[in-house]
Amino acid sequence: MISETKAGDSPAAPRVDAKLLEILVCPLTKGPLHYEPASQELISERAGLAYPIRDGIPIMLIDEARKLDDTAASAEGV
Amino acid sequence: MTAAAPESGDIAVPRWHPRLFRLPQHGYSAPMENLEVMTVFDRRLVRRRRDRAAGRFAAFSFLVEEVAERLADRLSAVRRAFPRVLDLGCHDGTLGRVLAGRQGIERVVSCDLSPAMARAAGGLAVAADEEWLPFADGTFDLVVSGLSLHWVNDLPGALIQARRVLKPDGFFLAAMLGGDTLIELRRCLMEAELEIAGGVSPRVSPFAGVRDGGGLLQRAGLALPVADTEVLTVTYADAFALMRDLRGMGETNAVLARRRGGAGRALFLEAAQRYAQAYAEPDGRIPASFEILYLAGWVPDDSQQKPMRPGSATVRLADVLEGPDRPAGACAGRQGDG
Repeated sequence: MISETKAGDSPAAPRVDAKLLEILVCPLTKGPLHYEPASQELISERAGLAYPIRDGIPIMLIDEARKLDDTAASAEGV
Repeated sequence: MTAAAPESGDIAVPRWHPRLFRLPQHGYSAPMENLEVMTVFDRRLVRRRRDRAAGRFAAFSFLVEEVAERLADRLSAVRRAFPRVLDLGCHDGTLGRVLAGRQGIERVVSCDLSPAMARAAGGLAVAADEEWLPFADGTFDLVVSGLSLHWVNDLPGALIQARRVLKPDGFFLAAMLGGDTLIELRRCLMEAELEIAGGVSPRVSPFAGVRDGGGLLQRAGLALPVADTEVLTVTYADAFALMRDLRGMGETNAVLARRRGGAGRALFLEAAQRYAQAYAEPDGRIPASFEILYLAGWVPDDSQQKPMRPGSATVRLADVLEGPDRPAGACAGRQGDG
């Protein structure tokens, strides 16, 4: 269900379990998610939302998701 | 502990927020546009209460633990293996831990509206809203839920989502607080508020009743639905100890229509006094009723028993009743049995 951007080994933060990545979808669209290890986000292109992963726990709450702007710069997760 | 038998065949006429019983819609609209669902609960507040309760939940988890054991008992009556399990509204992961290793369970995913609770659960944990499940279709063999679904605004929608993430022939088993929960506290608060404020604000959440349960399961498209209840009575030193417990469980009022600014000490003092007068047992302790509503159903599958289609009979009933090997008198006799 989830594609991944290769970014070498991510920092020390606990990594999200791959078994979870296999089954997660966007709660809004039920569409696929894209895993960004660098920013620790799960991106739903269709919904235009990025769900954060905190301490290895995906926060799949629409309230908590970051809105994706049309500028790609925001995806850097500053 | 009393148990009410499921009222089978009694398709529920909803008494509880009739507007909740909308037909499921196809596709998903944004929550803001979802105005057909009566919004009873402040979900952000539910989340904050749970976030706050997560740190010290173990001290208050007795009810969740008790219900987890009872759910496990019920599950053990089902002769099937459930390798992939979702614990929906997992609190601190109690139910998942109770179930681990039983019934061929290999993997439990725990989800809770509160990220803090999800973190406390550990293992494969996700923060997720029961009304917006983030799991792919047909992921789980079993969805269990212990004492969380009574906080959901769109209960039919949540059950539909639970069904969607189940595989064909998957099993749904939930326990939630039912309509007679905290009936004593409700009565005392209402009487006290009437006397002090001259009006009543909802201070205890509305709950679904057992009669709604069967209809809800059918609405969600679950087969072989079963809904039943039992009442667990917990005794407390006084009404304040009960309120402390409810807060510790993260279960205090999150009804949107509640009066803001808190209830005031005078009101609770009055209610506590009435509680003691009306309900105290000989030892001075007060009872509090928790009605547990159990819902169970299966995702339809060809392997399940089902009624035959009307008109599909291959033998005439009259032939059976008046068959050559059965004299007419015996038929008449049998009618008396029914």
